[in-house]
Amino acid sequence: MKKSEQGKTLIAAKAAGLVAWAAVMVFAGVAFRQHRAWKEPVVLGPGVTAVRSLHEWFAPLKGTENDCNVYVLDSGLPGSTILVLGGTHPEEPATNLAAELLVENAKPTSGKLLVAIHTNRSASTVTRPGEAYPQFYSIKTAWGQKKYRMGDRSANPLDSWPDPETYVHYPSGQMLAYMDIRNINRTWPGRPNGLLCERTSYGFMQMIRKEKVDLVIDYHEAELEYPVIGTIVAHQKAQEVAAMVSMDLSASQFRIGMEVSPRTLHGLTHREIGDFSDATALLFESPEPFLDRVRGATNEALLLTGVDEFVQRAGKAGLLYWPIDEKGWPIEVRVGRHIATTSKVFEVWNLLYPEKPIAVDGLPGYGDLAAKGVGAYFADPASVAKDRVAFE
Amino acid sequence: MLNHALLVLGVMVVVFAVASRLKVSVELSMLLAAIAGGLAHGSGFSARHVVDGAFTYFDVTLIFLSATFFMNIVKESGGVDYIVGGIVKRFHANRFLCLLFLTFILLIPGALTGSGSVTVLVVGALAAKVLSEMGIPKEKVTAIIFLCAAMSAAAPPVNLWAMMAAAGSNMPYVGFIGPLGALSVLGALFSMFWLGWKGSPIDAAKVAASIKVDARMRGWRVGLPFAVLIALIALSRIFPHDFPILGLPLCFMLAAATAAAVSATKVPLLRIARDTVDSLLPLVGMMIVVGILVQAMSLSGVRGLISLSVVTLPLAVIIGALFVILPLSEGLVQYASAPLLGVPLILLFNMKGIDPVVALSAMAVMWPLGDILPPTLVVGRAAVMVTGYDGSYYKGFVKATLVPALFILALSTLVVIFSGQLTFLKALG
Amino acid sequence: MNQAVMLLYYATTAFFAAMMAWNFARAKDAQKALLYLVVLMPFVMRLLRLK
Ligand SMILES: [Zn+2]
Repeated sequence: MKKSEQGKTLIAAKAAGLVAWAAVMVFAGVAFRQHRAWKEPVVLGPGVTAVRSLHEWFAPLKGTENDCNVYVLDSGLPGSTILVLGGTHPEEPATNLAAELLVENAKPTSGKLLVAIHTNRSASTVTRPGEAYPQFYSIKTAWGQKKYRMGDRSANPLDSWPDPETYVHYPSGQMLAYMDIRNINRTWPGRPNGLLCERTSYGFMQMIRKEKVDLVIDYHEAELEYPVIGTIVAHQKAQEVAAMVSMDLSASQFRIGMEVSPRTLHGLTHREIGDFSDATALLFESPEPFLDRVRGATNEALLLTGVDEFVQRAGKAGLLYWPIDEKGWPIEVRVGRHIATTSKVFEVWNLLYPEKPIAVDGLPGYGDLAAKGVGAYFADPASVAKDRVAFE
Repeated sequence: MLNHALLVLGVMVVVFAVASRLKVSVELSMLLAAIAGGLAHGSGFSARHVVDGAFTYFDVTLIFLSATFFMNIVKESGGVDYIVGGIVKRFHANRFLCLLFLTFILLIPGALTGSGSVTVLVVGALAAKVLSEMGIPKEKVTAIIFLCAAMSAAAPPVNLWAMMAAAGSNMPYVGFIGPLGALSVLGALFSMFWLGWKGSPIDAAKVAASIKVDARMRGWRVGLPFAVLIALIALSRIFPHDFPILGLPLCFMLAAATAAAVSATKVPLLRIARDTVDSLLPLVGMMIVVGILVQAMSLSGVRGLISLSVVTLPLAVIIGALFVILPLSEGLVQYASAPLLGVPLILLFNMKGIDPVVALSAMAVMWPLGDILPPTLVVGRAAVMVTGYDGSYYKGFVKATLVPALFILALSTLVVIFSGQLTFLKALG
Repeated sequence: MNQAVMLLYYATTAFFAAMMAWNFARAKDAQKALLYLVVLMPFVMRLLRLK
């Protein structure tokens, strides 16, 4: 080839590359934009008395991605105040779905419920690189599909960048992995001038103190390869509640374990909320095969059904901490576990603290939820007045 | 599901092999394999996955670029010449000290950047010149440069294999400094002294004359940028809640700015930046492409298949074979090996009561030795290039690395086996 | 302060991205040029604040 010809081929190759590159970038950019901008409608149930924003307790959060909705379900009668956190880790969809189910269905008859559906909202606006998660998943309802953002474990780098060389937890001084500064379940109790998740935790702590919250419930899901699964993790102040709930549920409905929060593991809800406020804290873990590293193809079906051949094989080889069979772990069972455990916690709470009761009507039982599906409990946003719909 | 994953893996392997055959670079072959695998998987694969995957190690590439930019400014401003010249001038009579200091000079660039290539490019040529003057034959000099570069890549604080594997298994990158430091320093010292102890006395005057040191060069001009770097990192750790969160890339950029500011000669920043990016392209490209490959493998279930195959092998077989598997996989797919083999192994170790931090550290010292192996030969080729060695690649150079390499592999395997007794090494953070 | 640091990261990203774009334009080898494009993807995406 002559020199000029070579030059021409090079320019042609570069031009073709640029065109392909631009196409990929535009396609992906639009996809990322749509995901981050997607709004999930939430129909305010009969119990919802107000929708507030986290910045009302900590003003600097105003305008940030983590200024999440806080749903107030107030019976108007004295009793306990209980805060429920969904979406601490937005890659654990049963958590925000369970929280949303509370908002749409729960009706307290004594005491007060506070609910956050997306505790770390920023993390729900980004998918995890390398993991090939779908960007969205849909829940079937009587009136059509309801579409949700699938998120990451950590906040979006667009909202919190950079990460430190090593993340040193405040105030314990414990060293954690750099990206854990974007994992809100490592930043409690938070600090007012920290990075986004530290400030978000701080905002929640302010709310917990101001609203005199008695108990915080933090919903989670875990891979079956992870030892903390199918269990309630309790701050020592809530040890008795957790033990009774675990015993009762395991005997009557489904197996659920109980463990006390380790005193040396910092930044987690079940440690710091109990230590740094008058409230106590419980964390529920349900099984999510979608998160397992040995999983097969990563898709919405796996996310919703929890059926996976490879994870089953790992189970047969004795490599898992939780059982799995060909029925998998469907989303309605996982949400059902969270809702049933929550109801049972209320019941036990009333036995132990009759002077500060919490009573909630309208929550489906485990069997009903597992049979009818989660979508059966979500109302059509088009069917209600505009002021009864909030957006996540 | 099994058959589907096997099919996609098959497509990936064939495309990778064919592309490599057709003289497509390793990075682009891997990209083609990832895209072909994604397409073979079918539903759900899109451009979004390509870009999503490209972000997997984006943070790491920033560390990589900024650290190398910093090292290149230090080199360009005459800092490396100054230090090596100083060592020769002061310690030429003492072979032991000479070799000792050269080992540490070779360890620093890779320790900071996580890349053996950077070590070779920044200090390799100069160290090779001194070693040759010490009467060490060329193939041994090349072997020393390669082995020390490999150990520098393994050395803390930045070990890319450990970082990538830890990130993939939700494990904090904490506790690695001790085990990585102990193994890499031992490995580098053994290599240097095994291969370099025998030779002739150095002709200090001749060497000193061949190293050009700017007359205005002073110790503080080299020391200050490093002091700034260390101070920034130390302050972030000692006063984490009063000191702003800077992150490693910014620490390196500030150190780079200091190096440029105190340099005796004017350093051409733009040219250095462009050259840095140019020389790092294969490595940065590899990290980005590996991310895309991992994404395609996660999507299609190939990652699950590989993980499952690894974790269902008997533990003794796995540990006994690590010293072969890790370097071979490094030679074949480079950093991709860390998330693909490292992550399932960590999960398995956790389950079987083997300390994952110590064991992963030992593995992360074995991986870089594979950079001498085909088809990629990355660091090996770079070492040959800077030393000007013209003998046989395998019969001369690779053969010379054998004893120290086996020593490092054996030591690391022992560390995996006895990881439980070595957990005290994690105390350094 | 955090905001200022974040801005410096966008500046650093832009700096390296600019060097890559420059090298892409001058690259004599087609494969090298293509690899530059691949590497540029996350850098440009971040600068556009899309990911
Ligand atoms: Zn979680």
